[in-house]
Amino acid sequence: MDNIKLEKEQQLADILSSDFTRLDAKVIRERRVEAVLSSNDIIPSVLLFAKDKMGYVHFSHMSCVDWLEEGEFEVVYILWNPEEKINLLIKVRTERENATLPNIDYIWRQANTYEREIREMFGIEFPGLVAAKEFILEDWQDMPPMRRDFKTKEYVDDHFFHRPGREDAKDVREEIANRSGEEIPEFAKKFSRK
Amino acid sequence: MININDKHSQIIVDIIKEYARKQSLFILAYGTGCGSIEIPPTMTSKYDAERYGIRGAATPRQADVLLITGYLATKTLKRVIRAYEQMQSPKYVIGFGSCTINGGMYWDSYNTINVLDKYLPVDVYINGCMPRPEAVLAGFDKLKELIQAGKAEGWKHYQENLDWYRENQKKVIVNWQMPDYNW
Repeated sequence: MDNIKLEKEQQLADILSSDFTRLDAKVIRERRVEAVLSSNDIIPSVLLFAKDKMGYVHFSHMSCVDWLEEGEFEVVYILWNPEEKINLLIKVRTERENATLPNIDYIWRQANTYEREIREMFGIEFPGLVAAKEFILEDWQDMPPMRRDFKTKEYVDDHFFHRPGREDAKDVREEIANRSGEEIPEFAKKFSRK
Repeated sequence: MININDKHSQIIVDIIKEYARKQSLFILAYGTGCGSIEIPPTMTSKYDAERYGIRGAATPRQADVLLITGYLATKTLKRVIRAYEQMQSPKYVIGFGSCTINGGMYWDSYNTINVLDKYLPVDVYINGCMPRPEAVLAGFDKLKELIQAGKAEGWKHYQENLDWYRENQKKVIVNWQMPDYNW
């Protein structure tokens, strides 16, 4: 039963894998196919192929994941085929140092907004991007804030004020536990305020 | 004849003036954060704030009260300061929700300020996340009390301590392109 349902998806994965050598496509589940690219250069050709030949005309989303431990950014393009009703996820990775990816805003105009956001929040450059300038952040001088090595707490301590807590603030957990004749469990004691 | 510059008649004039002020509070229709979603129910038929003389004003120059509704991004802070400085005195600021008090759930965010009264003189804080319309009306009640007692003088404090406020504001707003006012 399951095999019959995934026929369309498997067909798509086979076509993509056979047409592009540096592409590894697999079916995740019903209506969802993932394609992992091992090269950045073929992004525009894969997207154009999906749009013009396969009917993936709708550009749903584009987002970025910071794999700090591996020293890489992963960018995910999500496409939607309104005829076949399949989501196609195209994943690509790039080095964190001087991260650069091909610009795709001539394929879908709306990709420009996502690319500008990723450029500002993660610091990935897209050569040839239209209006590659300040987008959401105003007068930002620090490192891109969505990077995982951006120290948010330190930044806040440096730039903003903290309101001091109340002087009479105290831990009432023990009092409540004693009153009702219960004990605080061992695993929860580390959260007690000293 | 009554001479209104006389010390004793001045007291009576003040009482009448403050009574009139507190009965007609025009709030600037400017929502800074998620808290502005509580303003429509406060204004509309169920809670009907207008029966207490509280209603919206379109521009800063027509408004008496500036509501800071919820979290305040550094980018918005610049606009809020600009709007506040355009308002005619006497003017009052109400900090709305826990984000304006201590940052609330955004206390460690890179782009929202934590303590509002370092940047603008706050007359009344309304606690809650979000405060319900009852709490909002209670906050306005408190503001009216303060106005009648002549204690809602944040705007005077702002003028007298402008340097201190400017220093804090410029710490957050890097590119300061604002007009100078001579009140």
